[in-house]
Amino acid sequence: MKTEDCRHWKEALGAYALGHLSREERAGIEAHLEGCAACRAEADSLMSVARLLPHADPAQFGPAPQPPPELGKRIAATIGSERRAQRRQRRWRFGLGFGGAAAAAAAAAVLAIIVLGGGGGSGEPEQHIAFNALPKGVKIGATLKPQAFGTEIDMYVKGIRSGTLCRVYMRGPDGRDVSAGTFRYRWGGDSAATLSAALDLSRAEALVVHAGQRTFVAPLDRDATTNNSSPQEEETT
Amino acid sequence: MPPGALTDERDVREAYAAHAPELYGFAVRSLGDSGLAEEAVQETFLRAWRAGERFDPQIGSLRTWLFAILRNVVIDLGRARAARPGVAEKGIEPTVEPFDEALLSWQIEEAMRRIGEQHRQVLVETYYRGRPYAEVAEELGVPEGTVKSRVYYGLRALRVVLEEMGYED
Repeated sequence: MKTEDCRHWKEALGAYALGHLSREERAGIEAHLEGCAACRAEADSLMSVARLLPHADPAQFGPAPQPPPELGKRIAATIGSERRAQRRQRRWRFGLGFGGAAAAAAAAAVLAIIVLGGGGGSGEPEQHIAFNALPKGVKIGATLKPQAFGTEIDMYVKGIRSGTLCRVYMRGPDGRDVSAGTFRYRWGGDSAATLSAALDLSRAEALVVHAGQRTFVAPLDRDATTNNSSPQEEETT
Repeated sequence: MPPGALTDERDVREAYAAHAPELYGFAVRSLGDSGLAEEAVQETFLRAWRAGERFDPQIGSLRTWLFAILRNVVIDLGRARAARPGVAEKGIEPTVEPFDEALLSWQIEEAMRRIGEQHRQVLVETYYRGRPYAEVAEELGVPEGTVKSRVYYGLRALRVVLEEMGYED
C-alpha cells in the first residue's frame, strides 16, 4: 500500500518542486511527505535542482558552439615550438657546462705537468673560507689550495643577482691585490668558479671579492689549522 | 611532480579532446564573442601546459583545474578589454556577468543540453514558458499525467547530469 502510494505521489514531486501544483494537490502531497522520509528526501533534492533553473537561459539550450578544428592544431603547434625552444636552451646550457668542464680538465692536465715538473706546492693544507658578514640570502665561500703557480681558488656564490660580475683578488703581504680573475654569477642558482692567482697561499693576507658594486674581504688565517676567518665588508669604493 | 601531471604534449592533446568543447562553449557564452573565446581557450591550454607540473589529480579534477585557469584568462581578457575602450563596441556588447554566475548559468544550460529532448521540452514549456500542463499535454498528444511524470524525470536527469559534470551545491 505504501509503495503504491509513493509511486502515485513521486511522479508529482517534479511539479511540486517547481511550484506547479494546485492548492489541493499541494496539500495532498505535503500530507504524504510528512509521513514519508524517502519522498521528503526526494522532494528536497528536486527542489535544490529547481532552484538552479532561474540561472539558465532557455535561449541557450540549443547545440553549443564547437571549437573550430584548427584551434586544437594551433595550440599543439604553439606548444610544440615552445617545447623545441626549451630543448634548444637546455642543450645550449649543457654545452656551456660541458665546455667549462673540458676547459677545467685541460687546465688540470697542464697543472699536473707543472706540479710534476716543479716538485709540488708549499705543502700547506687547503683553506676553506666562508664569508660571514653578508647580506641576507647571499652566500660566498672559497676553498684555497696551494699550487706551484700560486693559489687555486674554488669560489662558490649563491643569492646575488644573475649576471653580476665578480672580480676576485688575493691580497699580498704588501697590501697589494693580485688578480685571481673574474666570473659571472648566472641563472639564479648556485654558481661555482675555479680561479687562480699568482700568489702563494702562505703569503696571502686576505681574499677579496668585488661582486657588482660591493666588496667583501675575508682575511686569511696565517695559521692554516684554524680555518675560520672573520670577514668584513669594506666600504664601496 | 605529482603522478598525472600535465607535462607531455600528448597529455595536453588528451586534455584538449576531453575538455576543449566545454571550455570553448563556456568561453563563448561568457565572452559573447567566438574570436575572444578561441583566444581564451588557447591561452588556457598554454598556461596549463606551462604549469603542468603543478597539476595534481589528488587535489581536484583536470576539468576543475582547467576551468580555474580559464577563469583567470577571462578576467585578464576583461582587463585588457577595459584598457582598450572602443574595441568591444562593434556588434553586441560582450556580457560583463561576473564569472561565477556565468559559469553557473552555463553549467545548467549544458546539463539541459545533455538530458533527453522530451525531458528538456516539458521543462521549457511548463517552467520557462509557464504554460499549463493540460495545454502542453494536448499539444504533445499525451495525457497530462505523462507531462507531469516527464517533469519529474527531467529534473532527476538534470540532477544526475549536474553531478556527473562535477557540480556541487
